[in-house]
This record gives sequence, C-alpha cells and structure tokens, in this order.
Amino acid sequence: MNHGTPSGDTRLRMSRLFPGGKSQKARATAVLFVLPAFTAYAVFVLAPLVMSLYYSTLRWDGIGKARFTGLANYVTVLTDPDLLSIIGNAFELVLYFTVIPVLLGLAVASAIRGHMAGTFGTLTRTILFLPQVIPLVAAGIAWSWMFASTGLVNQALTAVGLADWARGWLGDFDFALPAVGIIGAWVLLGLCTMLLVTGITKIDPSLYEAARLDGARPWHEFRYVTLPGLRQEIGVCITVTVISALASFDIVYIATGGGPGITTMVPGLEIYRLAFAHRQVGLASALAIVLMVLVLIAITPVQWYAREKK
Amino acid sequence: MAGLKLQDVRKNFGAVEVIKGVDLEVEHGEFVVFVGPSGCGKSTLLRMVAGLEETTSGRIEIGGRLVNNVEPRDRGVAMVFQSYALYPHMSVYDNVGFGLKLAGTPRDERDAKIRAAARVLQMEHLLDRKPAQLSGGQRQRVAIGRAIVREPDVFLFDEPLSNLDAALRVDMRMELARLHTDLGATMIYVTHDQVEAMTLADKIVVLQGGIVQQVGSPLELYNRPANLFVAGFIGSPKMNFIEVTVDGTTNDGVRVANSLLASPALVGQRQGMAPSDTLTLGVRPHALQLDDTGPIGGAVTLVERLGNETIVRVRLDAATEITAALAGQREIALGEPVRLGFEPVDAHLFAADGRRL
Repeated sequence: MNHGTPSGDTRLRMSRLFPGGKSQKARATAVLFVLPAFTAYAVFVLAPLVMSLYYSTLRWDGIGKARFTGLANYVTVLTDPDLLSIIGNAFELVLYFTVIPVLLGLAVASAIRGHMAGTFGTLTRTILFLPQVIPLVAAGIAWSWMFASTGLVNQALTAVGLADWARGWLGDFDFALPAVGIIGAWVLLGLCTMLLVTGITKIDPSLYEAARLDGARPWHEFRYVTLPGLRQEIGVCITVTVISALASFDIVYIATGGGPGITTMVPGLEIYRLAFAHRQVGLASALAIVLMVLVLIAITPVQWYAREKK
Repeated sequence: MAGLKLQDVRKNFGAVEVIKGVDLEVEHGEFVVFVGPSGCGKSTLLRMVAGLEETTSGRIEIGGRLVNNVEPRDRGVAMVFQSYALYPHMSVYDNVGFGLKLAGTPRDERDAKIRAAARVLQMEHLLDRKPAQLSGGQRQRVAIGRAIVREPDVFLFDEPLSNLDAALRVDMRMELARLHTDLGATMIYVTHDQVEAMTLADKIVVLQGGIVQQVGSPLELYNRPANLFVAGFIGSPKMNFIEVTVDGTTNDGVRVANSLLASPALVGQRQGMAPSDTLTLGVRPHALQLDDTGPIGGAVTLVERLGNETIVRVRLDAATEITAALAGQREIALGEPVRLGFEPVDAHLFAADGRRL
C-alpha cells in the first residue's frame, strides 16, 4: 500500500470516508446524512455570519436605504476611542471571568482531591455547581442588591470596621468594572471547579503516590501531576470563560447597563445599543465581526495548548 | 542497601483490621515475595512499608531505622506500581530522572545515572518517547528504571507483571531475577501468582486474611506447607485433599482410610495422631501416578494434554474429584477407570484445625 504519495493518502482517506467504496451511491448516502445538520448550521450560523459581514460594509439604519461604505465601519471600530475603550473593558473582564475561576477552581479541586467519593463529594459538587443553575439575570439582580450602598457588601465592611471602604460599588467609576467582574467570576467558578474536580478524579492516584516516593512535595505534585493531567479541562475552562468575558452581555446589562459612563460597557452590549438604539446596524455588525475575530485570536493559542500531545 | 524488619505490624481501616500483627525479618539483599489471594492484605502491607499507608500499630524498620513516621521520600525505598504510574506528559528520560531532579541532583550526574539505568534495562532507544508510545513491557522497564536511579535501600514491587501477557511475563520475570542478581538489592515483591513467587523468591511470605501463614523458601513451602491454606495455595495444579480416618500404623508410616479410597493409603510416619482421628490427606497432583493397586480409583472426567505432561481429573464420587499430573503424553480416554497411587513420603496429613502434622 502506498502511504507516501498524496494520491495514496487521498485514496486512503476516501476509503475511510466511504467504507463501501467510492461509488456515487455511497457518496450520495453520505451527503444525505450530513445534509440536515449542515442545513441547520448554514441557516443559523453561516448565513447570519455572511449577512453580518455584508451589513458591516453598509451605512444602514436597519429600515431605510443602505449605502455601501467599504471598510469605513471597521476603521471606526478600530480608531474610535470609546469603542476601543469598550473592547478594552472586555479584555479587563477576562482577568475576572477567567483568571479567578480557573485559579480558584484548581485550588479547590486540588484541596478536595481524594475526598470526592460519597456524600461529601456529591454535596460539594452540588454547592459548587449551584451558581450555574441560577439564571444569570437573577444572579445579576442579587449581586446588584449586595453591591448597593446599603447592600450586604457594605454592611459586612462596616461590621468589620472598614466603613471607609463602603461605596456604591456598581456606580463607582473605579470599582464598577471589578464589581461586575466578580459577579462573572462567581457565576463561572462553579463551572470551572466542576470541570476541574471531574478532571482531577480521572488522574491515576498512583501517579501522586509515585511522585511522593520520588520526593515530590505538594507543590511538585500540583505542578508535575495535577496541572499536566488537567491540561484539557483547563483548556475548556479558559476557552469558555474567555468567550464569556469577551462576549458578555446579560450580567453587565442587569448590573450596570454599561455605566457609569462607559466604564462597564462591553462589546456585546454596545452592539445591541448601536443596532437597536442608535440604528447604526453597519457599525454594530463591524463591531460584532471584530469581536468574533478577537475571540478567535484569544482562544486559538489556548486550544493549541490544550490539545492532546502525542 | 539494607534489610527490613516488621514487628507486630497492624493496620485498621475504620473498624476493620486488615493486617493483624505481622512479624517479619528480611535480610539485606534478599528477594522476598508476599503472596496470597486477593484481599489478603499483601498490597496494604507493601504500601505500609512504602509509607503510602499509615501504620496503625507496630514497628517498621528499614536498615535498622524506625520509619513509621518518616515520609515516603525519606524511607530509602522505590516502588514499581501495577499500573506503572509513569507521568504521561514526560518523556522516558524525564520519567526516569524525575526523582533525581526533585532531589536537586546536578544535571551531568543525573544524565549519567539515567543513561546507566537505560543501559541496564536495554531501553536506551526509548529515552525520547512518551509513555503512550511504549508497549506494556517497555513501560514496565521504564518504571523499574525510575526505581533503579534512586539507588534505594529497598525495592518494592506491587504486582508489576499482572498487566502483561503470559509470554512477556515470563521474560520480565527472568529480567527481574537478573536485575536482583546484578544489583544485589533488597526487593519486596507482591503477587497473587504463586508461580511468580516460586520462581523469583529467596523467601516467600504467604498471607491470608491479614495474617502470615508461613514464611520460608519456595521449596520449604512446597515440601513442608505449614497448613492446609499454604498447601492448597502453593503448587500448580493445587494439592488434592481427601478427608481420611487413621486406620493404624505400620513400620513404614500411618495407614489412613476413607470410603472414597479403593484401599487404605500409606503415609510416611507422622507424629501427633491417634487411631480413629479424622485428618485431611493432601497429595500433590505431581505425586500421583498410574498404579493398578493404588488406593485412589475413579473415572476420568477431564484430560488436558500439555505435551510434557497430561493433567487428568478423576471423579471419586459425585462431590469429589482429584487432579493428577502424569508425566509425558498418556493415552487416557474420558470415562476410563483409572487407579492412582503415590509414595508415602510424598503425602501430607493435616489435623482438623488445618495444621500440618
């Protein structure tokens, strides 16, 4: 068998794709099986994407006549200080949405490793996953109350003698974005911890024992056994949380509406505002495309790092 | 290198006592095998020596030093696991050198030791590979290499060959025996396979229910089993047992009888029995031979032709069958009546409490 030449490889691939041979009938059957899924994907993903790309080249209010403007909307997105600041906010949210849940999740997973069987494990998993079950809108409202001037956070600060630190967190120009970030971190911590706890139970316990015999201390066990063993789960956590941060909408919409000013405004909310409040469908589409590209750029290295190395 | 001493070592998991007071001395350089059925506590005992399980009570000494409260890394032991426990993301080179790296061994010295171990185990060509790219036997070599480079006082092996196929197991068994000879190290080896125990051990420790049943050389255990359990566990096919009554004594030994026996059987002279005592007669399958006047008779129910020997099962009554391993290739048909006999010195008698007389 010839594996070396391109034609040989192609033949091999074809024979795998169509085990029954390369007959027209087999090909038609394969296409028929793929068609329903492809149709759904084309209608709900490809078509909107192509339409967004098209809209992004227009100056259009969504109702009236559209005018082709080329890349002008993209130039605006990439040069307008407010829009750049909004994109910057999304990246700042990554610090909260990704770094805190992944690091805390790793710490929790490492701490409760080996105690996951039985009631304790079930209870822990349920409690940790609870934020995921609560609708984001409800979580946003609950946290808005807690961050309010008379809310739980300020009451707690006052109770421990830190009344000077109390403030209306979500209305503060310096602290609104971190406060929103903490809401996101709380929501995503459960997901990350669940993924990491599940992942850590798949690591062969004898690896930890071998490491202990090899002279490993807890840090070494974490560095050389846990981290490499959780590579894929960490990859999934980072990917999901980075996308949540860059494409965030609901938490910000409920908690601050993007304010004060534009200190907590994020691209997702700005796209909505531009398209439906300001009727700048072209600019909104351009921002959406830029956001998509930024998400892809951000998660590609993560995906590359997380894939299984053979 | 050093020996190992266990004194009244016990282990409880909650209210359940799994190791019930083990006393054992292992000399420097000895190859000791813990053998017993699943759940007998042999792996737990090994893990207690390694420091991976806490010792509930008793003393564990390695090289004369009490190690009950010493961390595994500081006990001077290295362990080869049943699952190999190789770090999947590290190359073979890094796996073998991991312990040295953590110990802060200089790079040159580390490299020399890793390559020396690879040479001993003939795996120099594998050093750049990841564990996933290795066969079972190669992984086992790497695991052994990782133990060798640490130059431990005591090597611990936890059923290291049980994941390998039969042919590879025989090869690796020979390699382990050679390694023991070359290194002259103290080795403790856990297995449930009594063939491994017999072929590798200087000394076998037979465990059952967390209690040591017998300690001795392989042939001591084979020839003079301390009790019914050891007699049944050591030797393959396992020893045949028939309940008998003491019929009388002669100059050549004691005569025992049973309704299942075609005629009274003579067993070499034994002390500690009286006429009419109910005992258990034990005869190894290899001690039985075709004998027209032999005491055991019945119909053949199974014939296994292995080439060098023929294993036959003979039914004495509806509930009792015995096994005979006859030398060479025999023309025996299923259902054929046969008579089997044995030399009086090859038979064993066990008291009602299981103790060998």
